Order: sequence, then C-alpha cells, then structure tokens
Amino acid sequence: MEKALEILKELQNISPSLAEIVKVNVFHVPDHYFEEIPNKVLTTVFLHQDEKITDQKVPEGYFDDLSNKILARIRNSNIESAEDEIRAISPILFSIKDKNVFTVPENYFENLKGKIIDKLSDREAKVISISSGRKWWKYAAAAVVAGGITIGSWQIFNNRSTTENGDKVLTTSAKIPDYIKLSFQYKTPEQLENGIASLSNNEIATYLEKHGNIMDDDILANDIDPNELPDTKDYLMNDNTLNNFLNAIDLHDSNKNIQ
Amino acid sequence: MTQIQNDQELLELFKNPATKEQAFTGIVKKYQEKLYWHIRRMVISHDDTDDVLQNMFIKVWKGLENFREDSQLYTWLYRIATNESLTFLAQQKKRSSLSLSDDENGLSNQLKSDTHFDANKLEWKLQLGIQSLPEKQRLVFNLRYYDEMPYEEMSRVLETSEGALKASYHHAAKKIEEFILNH
Repeated sequence: MEKALEILKELQNISPSLAEIVKVNVFHVPDHYFEEIPNKVLTTVFLHQDEKITDQKVPEGYFDDLSNKILARIRNSNIESAEDEIRAISPILFSIKDKNVFTVPENYFENLKGKIIDKLSDREAKVISISSGRKWWKYAAAAVVAGGITIGSWQIFNNRSTTENGDKVLTTSAKIPDYIKLSFQYKTPEQLENGIASLSNNEIATYLEKHGNIMDDDILANDIDPNELPDTKDYLMNDNTLNNFLNAIDLHDSNKNIQ
Repeated sequence: MTQIQNDQELLELFKNPATKEQAFTGIVKKYQEKLYWHIRRMVISHDDTDDVLQNMFIKVWKGLENFREDSQLYTWLYRIATNESLTFLAQQKKRSSLSLSDDENGLSNQLKSDTHFDANKLEWKLQLGIQSLPEKQRLVFNLRYYDEMPYEEMSRVLETSEGALKASYHHAAKKIEEFILNH
C-alpha cells in the first residue's frame, strides 16, 4: 500500500533501525474472541440497560406520574437536554461539539440567513397554498407583482420621448415584455390596485416562482426584528425551529410594503 | 450479508428502531478488530481491553443517535476508544495510587508477566520501548505505526495539530530506538 510505504519511509528517515524491525504481534487473543464480540456487546448493552432500571429504587407513586413526566420532558425537550445527555455519556464528545471538530466553512454563519431564506422560499413556493389564510404571503406576492408592474411603468415612462410637436411616444415598445405592456392600462394607483386584485392566485404564484426571491428577502428582512431571531445554534440543531419562528412572527405589517 | 455496509447505510439503519440492532451489530463487526488492537496496545491486558471495548460500545449505542454525521464514524469510534482507554488507565492509576512513571512501569510489568514474553526478542523490546513513552506519545506512535493513520485523521481523533503529531511521532520513534539500543 502506498500509505504503508510512505509511513515506512518516514520511519526510515527518523530511525532506520526501528524501521528494520519486522512487525510481529506479540499479543494473544482467546480463540473465537472476535466472532463472539458482537453478541457479547449486545448482551452487555441490554444487561447494562436492565441494571440501570433494576438498580433504581422507585419512589412511591412514581409510576402514577411517569407518563406526565415523560410528556413534560418531550414538550420541554430542547437542545440543552441533548447537550446534557451527551455530556453525561461522554465528556470528550461534549467538548468536541463546540470545538473545530465540526468544521464550519468560511463565512458560513454570515451567509446562513440568506441560505435559509432561499431554502424557505423554495419550500414555501411548493407547499403553501396562497388561499390557505396566510395573508402575509398574499400581501408579499402582491407587493412583488406591484413592484414588477411599478418598475415596468417607470421604465415605460422613462423610455418615452417627446416628439417635435410635443407628443410623448414609446421608443422601445418592440422590446417591452408582456407584463410591462400590461401596466399601460393602469393610469392611476386605484386602477393599479384593482388590477392586482384581479390577478388569480396561480398567476401570482407563477410570478413569484420566477421573480420572487429578491423581493422575498426584502419583505422578510423588513418584517423580522433581528433581536427576535432564534439562535443560530437552534436552527442548526432543529429543522423545525425556523418554521416555528416564522409561524410565530407577526407579519401582518407586510401591508406597509404594499403600495 | 450486511458485514461490509458503508457507514452511511449503517447510520441510516440505526435510526430505524426495526433495524437498530442489525445496524449496531454491523458497526461492531466492522470496527471491532481495529478498535480492539487500538485499546489493547494502550491497556495491554486482554481482559482490560475486553472491558474497555465493551464499555466503549455501550457508549456508542447510547451516543449514536446524537452522532453528528459531519464527523466520520470511524474517527468518532477511535476517539471514544481513545478516551475510554485513557479513562481506564487514569482509573487504574488512581486505584493503585501510583505516579505516572510508576504506572508506566506497571504496564511494562504487565508485558513482562505475559506467558509469551521473551526479553531477548526484538518485538518484545519494542513493546517495552512503547510502554516507556508518555500516554499521548504512545497513542500517536501506535496510531501511526500500527494503524497507519494519516496525520489529518489522527488530528481529528486526538484533537491535536498535524504539526504537533508529526513532532510527537518523531520524538516517540527516537525514544523507542534509544530504548531498544540500551536494553
């Protein structure tokens, strides 16, 4: 093996005489020891578990309250209890947890929020039904569409040039995309609002899938107080943390973003 | 059969209560010999090795659910085996109230009491030389010399920089060489 040769060369450089010694295993193992280990270990594991239970004295009324205690623990189970558990099982594993054993790519934490929100956007686009009562999403969608149309309108207005006789004309109409052309019909904010209201959920969803990412980030960023965000550790450990957080935050202020 | 399953498969099977035992048996079978020898070279006696090996696998059973898969299973197992061996040696030291150097002599005495021990044979001299090293150097020497573990991996097991491990191995080999030449 290349690895073995490399190691042998290394030892030859350090100590040629040591490298000369033929590797002989001086230790002896009882016959069939390795064949029996798996069963032996499994038996020990289970005996060990039994011992733990039988060794304990059961306080009076212990079993009456056991189910409630377990349920309470399940409800309260969080990262800390998992940490306590691994600390009890193996202190070295616990100490490794926060050290560089689990290496983190450079700038990982700086980019984490964006990554999660991107993932979240993907997931929400697939899972959330717009008509399911999650109003904020609808508002967000409307905001994105309104943004698109408004930008479109702005482009149009800026692309108009004035003819010699003072009439404004469009100079780039041949290149104008359909959704911008749509904005021509909206002359007033009221008309624009009515136009948005007339869009179907599917149209909004399709638009969001194509153009929603940047606007999603902005809307979420405006509505989330960074001080209220769950700890990074929490959502690293538990996929549900961020979902729970998003379900809990108050996004009805998204109205503000809609014009 | 399931003996040569890869770690990922074994970890997945372990998550399922129906295949948990099967996965655990697979892990034991796959790593038992490597881990046995790693422990044996540290604690010397077979019976002590057997105890340490079983204890470490009990911890593996309990801790595997919390095992973070961004770390290699192999590295994790070696780390537990190392930790358990060092804990065992520390307990032994405490029990017999011996100093560090006395403890090393204790391990050397264990070697000498082996029925197959032959002081004239080079391989036994080598073992005595290894036992004369401080624990950490002994670990590094064994992992490199016998297990042929790359420094990168060893640094994850022992939580020590590769540079320090290389230096440690160098010192260990030199000391053993000196020991053999003088005995």
